[in-house]
Amino acid sequence: MKALITSIVAAIILALILALPALGEESESITITMTGVNEISISLDKTQWPLGNVATDMEYMTSPAIEWCTLTVEGNSNVNTFIVGEDAKWVDNPSAYKWTLSNDGTNGENVYGLQFRISGDTSRGYVPVTKIEGEFWPYAGDSSLAPGDTKQFGLKLLTPTYFIGDRQVQTQITISAVAA
Amino acid sequence: MVGRIKLAGLIAALLVILLPSFTLAQDVNFSVSPAEVKIDNLPPGEAAEFELTIHNKYEAVHFFTLTIFQPPEEERREGRAEFPDDSWISLSSQEIEVSANSEANVTVTVAIPQEQKWAGEDWEIWLGVTPESSDLLAVRLYVRLLVSTSTAHKTRPNPGLVAGVVAGIILLGCGGYYYFRRKAKLE
Repeated sequence: MKALITSIVAAIILALILALPALGEESESITITMTGVNEISISLDKTQWPLGNVATDMEYMTSPAIEWCTLTVEGNSNVNTFIVGEDAKWVDNPSAYKWTLSNDGTNGENVYGLQFRISGDTSRGYVPVTKIEGEFWPYAGDSSLAPGDTKQFGLKLLTPTYFIGDRQVQTQITISAVAA
Repeated sequence: MVGRIKLAGLIAALLVILLPSFTLAQDVNFSVSPAEVKIDNLPPGEAAEFELTIHNKYEAVHFFTLTIFQPPEEERREGRAEFPDDSWISLSSQEIEVSANSEANVTVTVAIPQEQKWAGEDWEIWLGVTPESSDLLAVRLYVRLLVSTSTAHKTRPNPGLVAGVVAGIILLGCGGYYYFRRKAKLE
């Protein structure tokens, strides 16, 4: 009987030695932190620019040129903002015809240029809008935008040197924001 | 003659860009909270879940699209590396309808594969929320998602190993029992 008890105790001790490290690993807790009561939001007071008919190789500017649209930081988070464009596609058949958005604001055959300018931004002037998300504000070490801050800006369009006429094309510029 | 050709060419080249608008310009106004989510001590092999709230401040119902975005290195928080695989993040819905002046929640799940190489890492990825719109200007709001994995990865019990250990303990127990019994008999 003594032998049986000794054997069982030895087996239990061995099992505990093997199981304890595994039990220890599972005691770590996962922490999810939702930073503060923060809410991110920006608003634009204008979203449309009805240009109508345009000609080849022409420059069109919003009116007023650089105070056309106002971006306002809502919510309670400081934000960094970005801007990105896309190709302008034929409304009737988007996969059949498009104007490609250039990566430097210039134009070409079926290639158009798009630029933005922020009011008060004297160092950059007009900045190309490309298909890669770029800095809107801040840039080059400036401070991010705080709740209640506003930025006015305008757009400039350079039409292609050649395009197929009588086709309505449509594009979209996205302004994005992330918590600073 | 040359002038006429030029004029004809110009007229032919005319087209309409950017949908002419006969509707009233509409403000873009919505918000997302939280703006930043930090998950700490997530062991490889485990998953964490949280909710994003989209607040539609428009006077009409809107559809919102959710996307996962890898931010460029210069936009990431200091010490944060690129999130290795977008597919580790799942959204309860990639498109959600939100009524006017209402809010809706989307559940986000982050699941890290069970591999030791993913332990002790600090990553960052962004979740984008965009209202569906055909207007020229659109707004997208990003939520920063910061994920840190714990240094020890969670080990799931290996059934073969467990069975082997149990068998070993039984054999050891039996062996010990017979050893002591035989020893007692001999004495």
